Amino acid sequence: MSAFFDAWHYDGKNAVRRKVEVQIIGRQFFLLETEQRHGPFAFSDVEYVTRKDDADVYGLKAADGWRLMLSGPVPSDLSAMLPARRNYGGWVDRLGFGKAAVAFTLASAAAVAIVLLSPQWLAPLIPDSVDEKLGDALVGDFGGRFCSTPAGDAALKKLVASLDANPDDLQVEVAKIDMVNAVALPGGKVILFDGLVKQARSPDEVAGVLAHEIGHVREKHVMQALLRQMGLAVVLGGIDGNSGALVNNMLSMSYSRESEAEADAHSMKALGGANISPIGTASFFDRLSKMDGSANSGTSDNDIAGYMSSHPLSRSRKDAFEKSIVKGKNYKPALTPAEWTELKTMCTQDRNAKSGFGFDFN
Amino acid sequence: MNDDLSHRHSAFRFYGSWLEFARIAFPNLLLTIVTLGIYRFWATTREREYLWSKTEFIDERLEWTGKGIELFVGFVMAFLLIGLPLIVIQLISQGLIFRGEAILAGVITLMMFLLLFYLTGVAYFRALRYRLSRTYWRGIRGGSDDPGLQYGLAYMWKSVVGWLPIFLGVPWSMISLWNDRWNAMSFGPHRFSATAEWKPLMKRYLLFYLVPFLLFMGAVVFGISMAASGGTSDALGSTGIAIGAIFAIIAVLSLYIFLPLAALAYYSKYFRLAVGGLRLHNLEFDFRARAPDWILFFLANMAIVICTLGIGYIFMPYRNWKFFIDHMEAYGEINIDDLTQSETVVAKHGEGLLDAFDVGAI
Ligand SMILES: [Zn+2]
Repeated sequence: MSAFFDAWHYDGKNAVRRKVEVQIIGRQFFLLETEQRHGPFAFSDVEYVTRKDDADVYGLKAADGWRLMLSGPVPSDLSAMLPARRNYGGWVDRLGFGKAAVAFTLASAAAVAIVLLSPQWLAPLIPDSVDEKLGDALVGDFGGRFCSTPAGDAALKKLVASLDANPDDLQVEVAKIDMVNAVALPGGKVILFDGLVKQARSPDEVAGVLAHEIGHVREKHVMQALLRQMGLAVVLGGIDGNSGALVNNMLSMSYSRESEAEADAHSMKALGGANISPIGTASFFDRLSKMDGSANSGTSDNDIAGYMSSHPLSRSRKDAFEKSIVKGKNYKPALTPAEWTELKTMCTQDRNAKSGFGFDFN
Repeated sequence: MNDDLSHRHSAFRFYGSWLEFARIAFPNLLLTIVTLGIYRFWATTREREYLWSKTEFIDERLEWTGKGIELFVGFVMAFLLIGLPLIVIQLISQGLIFRGEAILAGVITLMMFLLLFYLTGVAYFRALRYRLSRTYWRGIRGGSDDPGLQYGLAYMWKSVVGWLPIFLGVPWSMISLWNDRWNAMSFGPHRFSATAEWKPLMKRYLLFYLVPFLLFMGAVVFGISMAASGGTSDALGSTGIAIGAIFAIIAVLSLYIFLPLAALAYYSKYFRLAVGGLRLHNLEFDFRARAPDWILFFLANMAIVICTLGIGYIFMPYRNWKFFIDHMEAYGEINIDDLTQSETVVAKHGEGLLDAFDVGAI
């Protein structure tokens, strides 16, 4: 069985263009020039290369630059042996454009949903030892900035114990940094900045903030956020820089709002359990929100901006704490006046602690 | 068989149409969106297949044989080899700052920066190598056996030397690196030879370099003369201030107008000199676009993107390629029999590094 069709051919060895006839013999073919015969070539080695103007261009496996160019109507016995044209690329051509677009949309939505939702149940599965190592790697001894006095430590310990049932797996420290801020870190680490303790008007205020940070620890928010960030980085990695980062930030922001609300709820519950009035925390937020409104009117207390940037503030948070006040309940102060003084002056008393900071962290 | 190019209008011709390109670009955009950006590697490949196939050199179209999967694998490699280590290093240096080891953190950050700098140079080189190795003409391709690791070092020191004399060495470093890059490339059996000179570029560069100074000087002189005239009487003073303000606005605007214009004028000269210094065996090249062509091209691009609310951005690959081919010129002759296949190695992965750093090719 043999048949002939006109075609153009490059042998890939030099740039000479050859007018050839294709001679089909079973599953193989020859290319015939006037004085030369090329081949035999196996149809199974033929690959589709590209569409070049009016011609379909075919290549040959393992023959660099070998080309067979067919233009015009190709007879059916030849076209039946040739590989299919490529348009969009493998999967899309197999499924068809519409179906592929729908399939990709669903797959993308599923990937994003998994990345956003899975940290909530993945984070608790991560062993505490990993959490702890990560926390140690990040914080260490905080550059020697942790303050410590016997009486101050005791007051802090009492405060933590009143707010949490398992105070032993928490490591709460006061750092000699003049900023109104507090952070929860992996490994059950909570750091209160001395600036926050100093400006507090009562131990109840510190208790509310501390309980909020303990809430972050207990709800595994830090590990969740870390997993979510890594997942988003992978999933959105394909999108170009700016828009990817924007989407990423918006998604993580909405989750950080949710985490803040959860931590607040945890804080109110802990305060209730410890018989500490939430009014102190409410007034702390009230002061912050007033700063929020008139931040530019020449107040020297710039430190407050630190807390606001990491904890998006709104009047509703203050209202929530106010609402959680139970009328007639016999609240008692979080610390005795003596303990409170010790805690407040702990960093001033501890002369070994280094002061200052070189970072901004939330 | 010899082709004498001297009688032809131009050896390069582009036959594409933007309507045809739109039929590729819009489905590409849709698929890229629904795959969260992953399809863009296949999208780029389809666009290049089209643009190359619509480009004629002498009497035969070009072929793009790159594959989407190559670009994708390159991107994944860049992410694993550079992206992930960067994230880890950033975490480590943040931890070091926490521990008060700011100097060590600074050293690590500096090393990270140097590594990125080096890899950017390698990426430029490999992008050019990849493109040449995937471009076929008459069954013959280009390429390079140089992996570009040396070029990465040259890129670092030549860039720094270019910046050191208050950025006056930039034209030298740009031209010198262009020559380095192209001298390592080949097409078929022939090595490219790049001998562009940098000295003719200095005048244009100084124009660009001096624009901010001239504008500043002009503003100062004008301000002084205004102040002097304004001082004579109160009535004149207020108009003087008003006119001064208007001129200040004009000065700021012209900084945004004259500076880009001067930059384009410089770049057009750079590209003309760089391409003009290029030879391939008996072929010489020329790029005929002059500064006004570049400025019109740039303004038209801006107008298209703005008037289409950004959608026109997807036509930029088409516009860039058309501009490039329309102004390319080649002289000399090619011996088709001697143009044998390139023996350079073919790298399996695409412009991964380049893609990660988002730099242009030529
Ligand atoms: Zn919080």
